[in-house]
Amino acid sequence: MGYIELDVLNDTDAALVMGIDLGTTNSLAATWQSGRPVVVRPDGRTAKIPSVIHFPRDGQPLVGQQAREQAVVDPSHTIFSVKRLMGRGLADIAAELPAFPFPIGENERGLLEIDVHGRKYTPQELSSLILMRVHDLACRALGGTEIAKAVITVPAYFDDAQRQATRDAARLAGIDVMRIINEPTAAALAYGLDRSCEGGTVVVYDLGGGTFDVSILSIEKGVFRVLSTAGDTHLGGDDLDRSLVEIISAELGGTLAAEELADPALLQAARLAAERCKIELSAHPEAELSFVVPHKGVHYRRNVTREELEQRIAPFIERTFDACRLALSDAGLETGDVDEVVLVGGSTRIPAVRERVEEFFGRPPHMELNPDEVVALGAAVQARILAGGSRDLLLLDVTPLSLGMETMGGAVSKIIARNSTVPCQATEGFTTYVDNQTGLDFNVVQGERELAQDCRSLGRFQLTGIPPMPAGMPRVAVRFHVDADGVLTVSAREQSTGKTAGIEVRPMHGLTDEEVESMLQASIEHAREDFDASRVANLETEIGIMLRATEKSMPAAREHLDPETLADLEDATRAVRAALGGKDVHTLQKVRDDFERATLPLAALLMDGVAKAALSGKRLDEV
Amino acid sequence: MPPRTSCPRCGAPLETPFCCVGCGRLLRPERDPTPFEAFGLEPRYGVDAAELELRLLRFSRSLHPDFFATAGVEERALAEEGSAALNAAYEILADDFRRADWLVAALDGPSESDEKEMPREFLLEVLEWSEEIEAAREARPGAPERARLPALAAALRSRRAECMRGVAGLLAPRPERGAPVLAEVRRILNAVRYLDRALRELEVLRLEQAAAR
Repeated sequence: MGYIELDVLNDTDAALVMGIDLGTTNSLAATWQSGRPVVVRPDGRTAKIPSVIHFPRDGQPLVGQQAREQAVVDPSHTIFSVKRLMGRGLADIAAELPAFPFPIGENERGLLEIDVHGRKYTPQELSSLILMRVHDLACRALGGTEIAKAVITVPAYFDDAQRQATRDAARLAGIDVMRIINEPTAAALAYGLDRSCEGGTVVVYDLGGGTFDVSILSIEKGVFRVLSTAGDTHLGGDDLDRSLVEIISAELGGTLAAEELADPALLQAARLAAERCKIELSAHPEAELSFVVPHKGVHYRRNVTREELEQRIAPFIERTFDACRLALSDAGLETGDVDEVVLVGGSTRIPAVRERVEEFFGRPPHMELNPDEVVALGAAVQARILAGGSRDLLLLDVTPLSLGMETMGGAVSKIIARNSTVPCQATEGFTTYVDNQTGLDFNVVQGERELAQDCRSLGRFQLTGIPPMPAGMPRVAVRFHVDADGVLTVSAREQSTGKTAGIEVRPMHGLTDEEVESMLQASIEHAREDFDASRVANLETEIGIMLRATEKSMPAAREHLDPETLADLEDATRAVRAALGGKDVHTLQKVRDDFERATLPLAALLMDGVAKAALSGKRLDEV
Repeated sequence: MPPRTSCPRCGAPLETPFCCVGCGRLLRPERDPTPFEAFGLEPRYGVDAAELELRLLRFSRSLHPDFFATAGVEERALAEEGSAALNAAYEILADDFRRADWLVAALDGPSESDEKEMPREFLLEVLEWSEEIEAAREARPGAPERARLPALAAALRSRRAECMRGVAGLLAPRPERGAPVLAEVRRILNAVRYLDRALRELEVLRLEQAAAR
């Protein structure tokens, strides 16, 4: 029968932008509703979507809680902590590699690749799947509104390559990234807006699943100004979990052989058990560390005390304070100058962390806002600002790492200092070494070390189009510009002729624009197929419901319908039943629409009957 | 060519060459403004830090790319470039050394490569504390050589302040182009650069000490 559609109540206040916290362990989205940022809860309760992807042998990849549940059953095809792989090379993640139960390699271009069912995925592609899921769930939770623009957060300490990778992932997900914003700054925005924070000099201590950031801001009269930032992109909850897994490995090492200990399913089960135990120890002085891997015959159980955990994680926590000291030093401040401290990230729920933070800064930290949600909320605030919502708030962020150029001899000549407010720029002069030289090559690095080899290379920059002149004559001005996202662009001009030189960048561990383009093309083609497949599934379900509803009401309505209408209905029913089972989306759509048309008189009759019966108290067949 | 002084759209006097704070119009300066021009300040060493801050925030509110995210390509580029130039100018004006260094160059004074010397009495001190810093760097965290470091850092900071007071005195009233006093300023700035390097090293050693466990 025909459907009567109810008009969904639209919140016309919702700006068509969202904020997304793309986390190592969990991701979430937040939007602006009724004058404030609100996290999206797809199922009405949880906001967190696990940043986990499961690839079944056939069919669509799963993202989120369902994927996470496959981690022990199918560890080689359940991908987690992708954020730790973004913008990195194999050498960077060497220490963590054993903890990943799926194969990670590096191609000739220096790009990491994860092998799943024989197909290779870059971290950007994997992150894009997570983003697509988060974005999709958010749009659906808001009644199906298509929100194309988003602000996406990254750790403040992410370097250029890691930020570019995040932008690429968003692009592959079909999301228009308005801004890449630093997580601690986003958290500060959320607190500042919430007014639970008075302002002044604020420290944001952000310990997440995979990364640690500390940012020091000056918040005053709506201006959020980052003074300094420091951190560690390889320090987080994952490391704390691993310290518990070490207990398991040490104890099982007595009874199990090395290969058995390295078994992916066992590793995953151990990791998840460690995470559960760690979380429980935040609320209880003692917790169980236990898991089973039935098909390996492993049953592990042991009690862990809070003291034991604290002892094991102490070195990691202390590392966070090294970064805090550096940030204070860079800002020219001492702990006594700090007015407020804000805690962000799930790992800050650990009592030992909170105690140490209070001890270090000499004041109790703020925890009023949910440490898991505050970053997404702040991203939504920034999205609102960018959408033109308000000029009351001004965000002045900084670039976390110094930018320099490799000189002859391998030293680094600093171009832009760390903690420079963005957007920022600097210009360097170059000239040629041989007559009629028309090109120049240079290596741009990020980091604080003296030698280029100890810093992170952003890639080889190739300058072309210098007008032919005697050696030493051209005056090439190369402008380095770091934008508000913290990403570098380079432009060059030969000053005597005023001619713009071409710049080509070959990123170290990143995708070129062409590569992103071709990936987008490929995914659009696949998306078409996938889209049709899901439409088929939806149509089949819909048709099934319509058929059953019609069958149910036909007996009572039959005598009230004229012969023509009845004939139409029967033809349509036959057509629909015949089309079911065939997977052609166009046929299915057509027969469904025809069927709906044919049932309209039936629907009208029933509506009418119901109304009359309601009004006069008569039964339907008396009408 | 002097920079334009009033807004082409509304005619109001311009406080900065990058935008008109009054009507919000973004501007493309005809040539790269000097750091002082960027902030509408007279080119002299004495700068009120609070005033500089105020102007940075005031101009940023009209210029920052965040407020032009939905505008056209041209406007976004102007906001991005203007903000970057404003922030670069701020970095120079907010730092006493860089401000003095810029002024010496602008007044045709000697550059660091032209005049490498430092004031005579300074050289003797340099030798003393260079040795102390070297010894501290070689020693383990916690060793007695390191105990002197906080006092040394305090002494160097106070010496630096003294030098910059000297610079301030020599640069006011503003010297003529190429005046001999600029060479003296350059020599003092060379000493300050040395002091800053030493202070940075001491800071690294201090952080190392704090991290030692």
